[in-house]
Amino acid sequence: MRAKPRSLGRLHPASIGAVLLAAFSTSAPAYTVTLDPAAPTAIYLQVGVGGFTADYCGGTSYPPQHETPNCGPNYGGGTPENNSTINLVSGTVASGTVGNGTAVAMTTNSTAANSYLDGYVFCSVPAQLYIGGFYRTTGATTAAASVTATVPAGLKDAAGDSIPFSQIQWTSSGNGDTGAEPFPAGTFVGGGVQTVGSMASNSWNESCLTFSYLNSTVRPGGTYSGAVLYTMSAP
Amino acid sequence: MSTARRTTAGFFFALTLTIFCCAPAQANSITIDDSGTQALDPAVSMRWKTATPARSAADNVMIGTTTIRVRINVTPWLKRSGRIYLSLPAQQPGPIRLSWITQGRFLPGQVQSGNRMLIYSGPITTPFMEDTLTLQFVVDGTLMRRAVPVTYHFEMDES
Repeated sequence: MRAKPRSLGRLHPASIGAVLLAAFSTSAPAYTVTLDPAAPTAIYLQVGVGGFTADYCGGTSYPPQHETPNCGPNYGGGTPENNSTINLVSGTVASGTVGNGTAVAMTTNSTAANSYLDGYVFCSVPAQLYIGGFYRTTGATTAAASVTATVPAGLKDAAGDSIPFSQIQWTSSGNGDTGAEPFPAGTFVGGGVQTVGSMASNSWNESCLTFSYLNSTVRPGGTYSGAVLYTMSAP
Repeated sequence: MSTARRTTAGFFFALTLTIFCCAPAQANSITIDDSGTQALDPAVSMRWKTATPARSAADNVMIGTTTIRVRINVTPWLKRSGRIYLSLPAQQPGPIRLSWITQGRFLPGQVQSGNRMLIYSGPITTPFMEDTLTLQFVVDGTLMRRAVPVTYHFEMDES
């Protein structure tokens, strides 16, 4: 039977040994494991249609089955996937209106109207092009990830005629949105790389872009085309 | 004064003494020697609970799981009864939730950092107690920038 340390003054020798043993137990080292954040950074950018295994909150209709933050895989929510689709934004200038300075609305062949966050019908297609995504990172809030557009100098037709990309602008909104958009309104700057938006860390960011052709100069008839590349860069 | 009244007064006095006598004794918690414990993988790979963040900066939980073979030296309490706790002190990187399942020797449970949870109560019949625990750590990912050590230990309460 082990004596208690409090009665040390009256212990016989055999009991002292037990007290010392208890003292060693007290100094036993605690156990340590290392929590190591594996693959801590993830980015997702969607311009037009994207790829998700399911909506983040599960299901395909709004409202979601689960309010955030109770979404994700445990609630049937999806994860992002690659999607190589290149969407088209186009417009037609009617004869007799070429170069009259009245902007021409452009539409998209993108069918991405619902947000993959919660299934909400965020954009109106074909008038608006969805752009959104996220920047996942450990640690405190960091500088936002930036999204840039690499823009050719101009749109070309088969005859080699050109329309400056600066003739295309966009507004930004989203159904039910208030406040500043992560991808604000702007105008393309031909022949360079320009920042078109930013994504705050660890939050979903999305906007709907409505493009228009400024139609401020007279150009030869034809079909003009050009590709803009959107790139997301995390700090 | 009647005998009945004397008896009543005596009972009241005795009851008062009993209350003083049986007030809970201060438990003496002693860290148990767990040097025989082994982790199958001492580095716990923490992953996002959800691959995707919410609209606002929320739901940034990271989860990691590891398995340890617990072997604690309870020789000092042999042939006595004791209450054993898994204690997770408050520590960096911040609030940590630890849950575990066992093979049956100890109780499953969960604990928030800064607290402890009972994993065994009863007689100590062997010098060592062993079990295999699958631990799951849950941490706010926004608190983690790099790998961090997390310490826990086992405590014996003796009264």
